[in-house]
Amino acid sequence: MAIFKILIVFASLFFYNFSLLAVESDTVKTSSSDFETGNFEDEIYDPLEPINRAIFGFNNVADKIVLEPVAKGYRKLPSPIQTGIGNFLSNLKMPLVIVNQLLQGQGKNAGESTGRFVVNSTAGLFGLFDVADKIGLEQTQEDFGQTLATWGVGDGFYLVLPIFGPSNVRDTAGMVLAYTTDPVNAYAVREGEPWILPVRTATNAVDQRSKIIDEVNAMRNNSLDYYAAVRSSYYQYRKAAILNIDDNSQTPLPLITIEFE
Amino acid sequence: MRLFIQTFSLVLLINQSALADEASSWLKTEIDFILNAYNNSSTTNETRFLIIENTINYNFAGAGIAKFVAGKAWAGAEKNTKKDYITSFKRHLALNIASLMKGYSNQEYKLINIKYDSKNKVSLIDMEIYNETGSLVVTWRVKKSKERYFVIDLLVADISLVVTKRSEFNSMLKTVDYDLHEFNKLLKDQNESSYNKFIKSN
Repeated sequence: MAIFKILIVFASLFFYNFSLLAVESDTVKTSSSDFETGNFEDEIYDPLEPINRAIFGFNNVADKIVLEPVAKGYRKLPSPIQTGIGNFLSNLKMPLVIVNQLLQGQGKNAGESTGRFVVNSTAGLFGLFDVADKIGLEQTQEDFGQTLATWGVGDGFYLVLPIFGPSNVRDTAGMVLAYTTDPVNAYAVREGEPWILPVRTATNAVDQRSKIIDEVNAMRNNSLDYYAAVRSSYYQYRKAAILNIDDNSQTPLPLITIEFE
Repeated sequence: MRLFIQTFSLVLLINQSALADEASSWLKTEIDFILNAYNNSSTTNETRFLIIENTINYNFAGAGIAKFVAGKAWAGAEKNTKKDYITSFKRHLALNIASLMKGYSNQEYKLINIKYDSKNKVSLIDMEIYNETGSLVVTWRVKKSKERYFVIDLLVADISLVVTKRSEFNSMLKTVDYDLHEFNKLLKDQNESSYNKFIKSN
């Protein structure tokens, strides 16, 4: 009983201390320039918002009842199998990555990606093992959307594609271009095995979704406007990919200054 | 003169590195505190969240972020409305961070790549979170003020939490004609819904 009382006193002191600290942090204030809107794109060009929201709603339901449960099941597979599938799918993308790196004038990256593709397709058993990473050939990603952006093509308006999710006019054009020029897809169609295309796309979606289960749930459960949160996230993610930001000191810094009253 | 410049640059670099290390050490203590709260099975869900919420409120520049996120709705609002909004926003921020950190509570992490941006006086601390199949980098933006550190932003895969919140809030503020008083009602409802989900899912 005495121990119980001590615990109650200790817990009270603990929370009292915390609330004092919290009060102290309430005195933090910012300067007036902190909430000027000029530095950030609050408005993303979204003229089809009502239609996009409807498609987004459909995708969200599809995600909840199909993709997320499948992704959760996929995450229960032994990790070497998950890693192998991820590596294999990533290796299949490499020919187009190389093409896009060349189109963007990234000779060094294209050379490294070619090396990665050759090493992983041979020593890595058709891409199942990422041997290239172990010898210092780092993975970099480029797609047609990024290439078009590098060539000066603007975003166009925001689009939500059924099943495929957030995009914009430029990235959708890039996606169509990738789908039609991908050598693996072309080979599958030529060999009379077109079923490979949707299977590849679906497996890729499950693999990618399995990597962000916690993040998506955190955003979905805590957003006032989940649609707007996903839209903003998509634009930030693509902007970083286009600018090849590998260092977060280059991402826009919110002007939050701290002063004490 | 050249020697003076070299010495000055060296001192500056050492100082910047010391600042970044100090921020990193502080951040590690706070992250561990939150993650340990998740791994402590003897506390109730409500108590656990209270501990995490207090830690987040104390360590994040909540009021500053709230004002930034409110954008143009801030300027025209009444003093009490602003106060009310900041209180609700802090709970909203805590629910967001707590929900995200819960997902990382059973994973190993390491603070890597610590940098000090001397122009903006902000430390950028990369936290690499490892799971069985790979890793994810979360970047903490930390600012020092009056001998204390504050988190001013969190970036997950190049996506800023603060910028996303600003865009999301702007979209909702538009529906209430940028009236912060009306917006507070929406924010409170969302907090209640998130709180119920978060406590139930724990």
